[in-house]
Amino acid sequence: MITDFPEAPLPLLDGTETTAELAEFGGDPVIPKGLRRTVFPVITKEDTFHMLRSQRSSPEKVVEEFAERYRSYVGAHSALPVASGTASLHMALVGAGVMPGDEVIVPAFTFIATAQAVVAAKAVPVFVDIDPHTYCMAPERAEAAITERTKAIMPVHVHGLPADVPALRGVCERNGTVLVEDASHAHSAGIGDSMCGSLGTAAGQSLMADKNFPLGGEGGIAFFSSDEAHQRAVSCLARNGIDYRMSWIVASFGTSQLQRLGYYDAIRARNAAELSRALDETGLFTPPYVPEGYTHSYNMYRIGLRPEAVGLEDLPVWKVKEAVHELLVAEGVPAREWQNTPIPCHLPFTHRHGFGNGYPFTLNPEAARDHTPQDFPVVRAMLESTLVLCRELRSPVEHERLQRYAAAFRKIAKRPDAIRTLVNERNYPRPPHQEAARLG
Amino acid sequence: MKMESIDTAMVLNRILTSGIVMSIEKNDKELPGLERLLSKHTSRSEVVLLNSRTAAVHAALAGLGKGHGENALCPELDEELRAFVTWLGITPDEAGEEETPGFDLVTVTPEHASERIAEAGRSTAAAVVLDLTPLGFGPAGAVVTDLRRVRDRAERLKIFGAFDLRTMWTQRESEPDLVPGVQFNYRLSPLVAGCVRMALMQALSADKASRTSGTGVNS
Ligand SMILES: Cc1ncc(COP(=O)(O)O)c(C=O)c1O
Repeated sequence: MITDFPEAPLPLLDGTETTAELAEFGGDPVIPKGLRRTVFPVITKEDTFHMLRSQRSSPEKVVEEFAERYRSYVGAHSALPVASGTASLHMALVGAGVMPGDEVIVPAFTFIATAQAVVAAKAVPVFVDIDPHTYCMAPERAEAAITERTKAIMPVHVHGLPADVPALRGVCERNGTVLVEDASHAHSAGIGDSMCGSLGTAAGQSLMADKNFPLGGEGGIAFFSSDEAHQRAVSCLARNGIDYRMSWIVASFGTSQLQRLGYYDAIRARNAAELSRALDETGLFTPPYVPEGYTHSYNMYRIGLRPEAVGLEDLPVWKVKEAVHELLVAEGVPAREWQNTPIPCHLPFTHRHGFGNGYPFTLNPEAARDHTPQDFPVVRAMLESTLVLCRELRSPVEHERLQRYAAAFRKIAKRPDAIRTLVNERNYPRPPHQEAARLG
Repeated sequence: MKMESIDTAMVLNRILTSGIVMSIEKNDKELPGLERLLSKHTSRSEVVLLNSRTAAVHAALAGLGKGHGENALCPELDEELRAFVTWLGITPDEAGEEETPGFDLVTVTPEHASERIAEAGRSTAAAVVLDLTPLGFGPAGAVVTDLRRVRDRAERLKIFGAFDLRTMWTQRESEPDLVPGVQFNYRLSPLVAGCVRMALMQALSADKASRTSGTGVNS
């Protein structure tokens, strides 16, 4: 029988970890092999018991119960549970009144589904650059991209940090457009007392397994700020025979997991805060930026690099990133790239076949533009100079594991010489955006 | 026949406790397991799993290369599916007596699961859409075909669909020409797939037992 239980506890730090030889060069890794697995979500007896109970209920009721509980948690006016985050964004856009041929402004840095949902709504995604600190849509770039045909602005709360909604609302108000959130990374995140998912005219949110609030594999939920918006989405499904329904199995798991969401969030916030303090002291690494009053949910934790702080300013930053990446992985910290090029450089947006024969791009040819990574200098700079922790920090990891992450960053920051050696030896061939586009 | 609650509970518990429940997880065994079962019993080499019957119809059409602004020879469609195909921008032409539609449509009910799977196996269409929703685990569907091309295109309609255990690491697209324009998250949950597989396995083995003993079971 497979068990979630760890084989052994992680040893407590003894102080020698940060001065030992780097694992890349034969030293002991900070996180020993065999003790690197993190488990998320945790499955408890409540999950299995609730699943049993759900079998005795009607499927519709199970889904409804989940949607109502979560809607109330988020504080949205109404909710529509669906099969995926992509479907929820499609419904959010339709609910917000997006019509075929309309333009919807989206950030060039997100998951491809944000933009594909716009196409699903038969509208045209218009891509804009991000803010260099938050990595979310830059409000001034959004405003500059507005045309007569712009119907909606759809910011993404990237990695779990709410986008600059106050500024974006201002842009919407000045220009007669609506705000639709992609809250797929931002479960329990918010600004002040308001939670992501309740900040715009409508919102979509993924509940798939890689998210902070994962349902049974795949799921999503759309939120609406009015009955009219909700009704527009529901009638679009009915009129067009689209089956986006959520499975009761998926929903049942959501209801039982919802009870533990607060616990997961609290541990993740505590861990992120501690890791951020540690990174701040390294010089080389910078933690995610969180504006005052904002709650970041850390679905991903993006770490910046400052080669100049350790005398490596003569090296291209993307090569420093490659070297640091190798060193981290060797220490047992599975840092990653997440996205390597702006979304408009992915195939579906370079050839723009849409539903076939170019529809809906053909409805609005002026909005359908060819792009290169150079069109989004902030996205490009971020991709070249940052790395991400995903599941490893999303899980409610034990404190000793967190301390070991911090130790690994400290250990590497002390060794600019090793970074320089790797950069010289490896001859990393090309920056991330010159590689073929990857989804995640 | 309908699957016993206790069996459903067993399957769900087994999958829930198997580790990370994720359709794009390289270690997932539920989705490939259902694919193999459908392949074997419909005698089709290729299977694409989807999260609803409309997704499966979309995948079949995309697999056959049909897109917005085109006509497609379809089997008899109910009102919902006709609306859906029209929403895709495709005009559904009903196949006449002498014509073979591009795809066939088979609804797999709990009462007649094994006959319906057999029926799909006998179809002469290039692709068969299976509606697995009536089995009771939520919306679910599949496309079965012998044409690798149809499978390759249909998989790519699902975001992440074309990547498998081998290609997930690099996510290098092996056939950029087959990448569609619009893509949906039509991925089926492994929990749903596991239950569908168990229900089909039971129906198929009950049917086999009844055929060897000479008594009907699915009455
Ligand atoms: C920002 C963002 N938007 C949308 C989605 C799409 O959600 P789903 O995969 O549930 O369709 C995802 C994740 O998968 C995402 O990360």
